[in-house]
Amino acid sequence: MSAALPDARPTRPARSKLVWVAVALFLAMTAWSWDGIGFSPAELVEKADNARRIVDDMFPVAWQAWPVLVEPLLETFRMAVIGSVIGCSLALLVGFLASQVTAPNGVVYGVSKTLMSVVRSIPDVLYALLFVAAVSIGPLAGVLALVFFNVGVVAKLLSETVDAVPLGPLEAADAAGATFVQRVRAAVFPQVLPNYLAYALYTFELNLRASVVLGLVGAGGIGQVLRIAQTRYRYDVIALIIFVTFVIVFLVEALSISLRRRLS
Amino acid sequence: MIRFEHASVTYPGGVHALKDVSLEIPDGQMVVIVGLSGAGKSTLIRAINGLVPLTSGRVLVDDEDVTAADRKHLRRIRSRIGMIFQGFNLVNRTTVLNNVLMGRLYHTPTWRTILGRYTPEQIDLGMRSLERVEIVEKAYTRASNLSGGQQQRVGIARALAQDPRIILADEPVASLDPPTSHVVMRDLQRINRELGITVITNLHFLDLARQYGDRIIGLRAGELVFDGSGAQVDEKVFEDIYGRSLTADDVLEKRAEL
Ligand SMILES: Nc1ncnc2c1ncn2[C@@H]1O[C@H](COP(=O)(O)OP(=O)(O)OP(=O)(O)O)[C@@H](O)[C@H]1O
Ligand SMILES: [Mg+2]
Repeated sequence: MSAALPDARPTRPARSKLVWVAVALFLAMTAWSWDGIGFSPAELVEKADNARRIVDDMFPVAWQAWPVLVEPLLETFRMAVIGSVIGCSLALLVGFLASQVTAPNGVVYGVSKTLMSVVRSIPDVLYALLFVAAVSIGPLAGVLALVFFNVGVVAKLLSETVDAVPLGPLEAADAAGATFVQRVRAAVFPQVLPNYLAYALYTFELNLRASVVLGLVGAGGIGQVLRIAQTRYRYDVIALIIFVTFVIVFLVEALSISLRRRLS
Repeated sequence: MIRFEHASVTYPGGVHALKDVSLEIPDGQMVVIVGLSGAGKSTLIRAINGLVPLTSGRVLVDDEDVTAADRKHLRRIRSRIGMIFQGFNLVNRTTVLNNVLMGRLYHTPTWRTILGRYTPEQIDLGMRSLERVEIVEKAYTRASNLSGGQQQRVGIARALAQDPRIILADEPVASLDPPTSHVVMRDLQRINRELGITVITNLHFLDLARQYGDRIIGLRAGELVFDGSGAQVDEKVFEDIYGRSLTADDVLEKRAEL
């Protein structure tokens, strides 16, 4: 049959040689990294005793210490709230300026877009370190770190949502004699509002977790207690903090997920 | 009155969509524009409210030069011209009433738009527009929950909310089934007759054009090839506009006759 119809079926095109180069690079990089940090699963077995001692230290859990944690936990929660509110409000502006659909001109678009990636390229803990150095230890440094972190994440998600918005309503607004701002507000904003609220709730979840870590570098909240407990080898208190943090993050996440589901 | 004076449009790609068109549309007329796909119907309609700028020539609306208008002036001209779209162009995620009130944007201060607070007078006007297209009971429904025909009537109500002198409709029934198409065309006809608003409609189907148009304008490759009443459209005129004889695809009710 193939002799009768030599050209009917195409032969499979040859795979590009680049694929093999990529695979080789990938393997080399993994080996290099593995070797470089001296990673060895055997070490886990060797250090099992140490790990067991720490786990032993965690029990019994220091339940009686919970009153000490209430204030720091509230502080962490408040940091997450304020960080989200300010961060997401700023992100609303930056997000619109960083989409070609709603930017007033190319310069504003380019600047916002660049600003956004710069802000996003710095990890939250690094922000916390910077702000702790700048405004000293405490929740203010934590909130500032969260604000930057949130602007980066929410503005990016929002601008991509705005990019994908159907353009028909914008044309309708133009045809009715709308100003630029009116067009954004009446024809674009309602289209992205549910998404924006979902992003805001999602970053609140992230903030709650992040602000625990931020405390470790001195930016207020429960993380600061965690650090003190660690320096005093109070693993029973650390166990309690882990447990309480888990419960709170879990509850907030469950609530946020159910709210977000209702938005879509 | 709308006046085209030697109007031409050449798109960036080099397509001559409109070639030296001159015509006058007096107030209160019901005009239908017909022509093949790509003949320049949308371009002609969009030139009237400046959505498509002319390359040369002029368009005047009530003696105001659309071509020469700056941004602010253009907004004022547009505020008196309602527009209806093939794809409805509604904001799906908000209420019907909010969509209709987009027709009031020109007369609403920007701060009010930002807050989304409309005055009782504006809401009353929005409701009256919805009543005119018999869909007021849907005022607080989300636009996405309406059928295509209902969405197009919301589109008409939005145009009416502008309190316009002119309504432009770019293929308003192309996304609708035949019975719904007639409902929408009758709405436009009533608006023309009862309110005296000039209505200019692009249509694909010749039978609809003849049924609803007081005046028919035929475009072919960007040129004006026919301008007259529906009764004057015979086989010869049809061939001038379409470059071929009539087929079943050219009419809404599938009977190839004029
Ligand atoms: N934005 C644009 N850029 C470049 N060319 C365009 C643009 N809009 C339209 N054209 C071209 O101009 C010509 C006329 O287009 P127009 O949309 O006015 O035709 P039409 O009669 O409305 O067609 P249809 O019935 O398909 O809607 C077509 O050849 C089209 O490809
Ligand atoms: Mg068209």
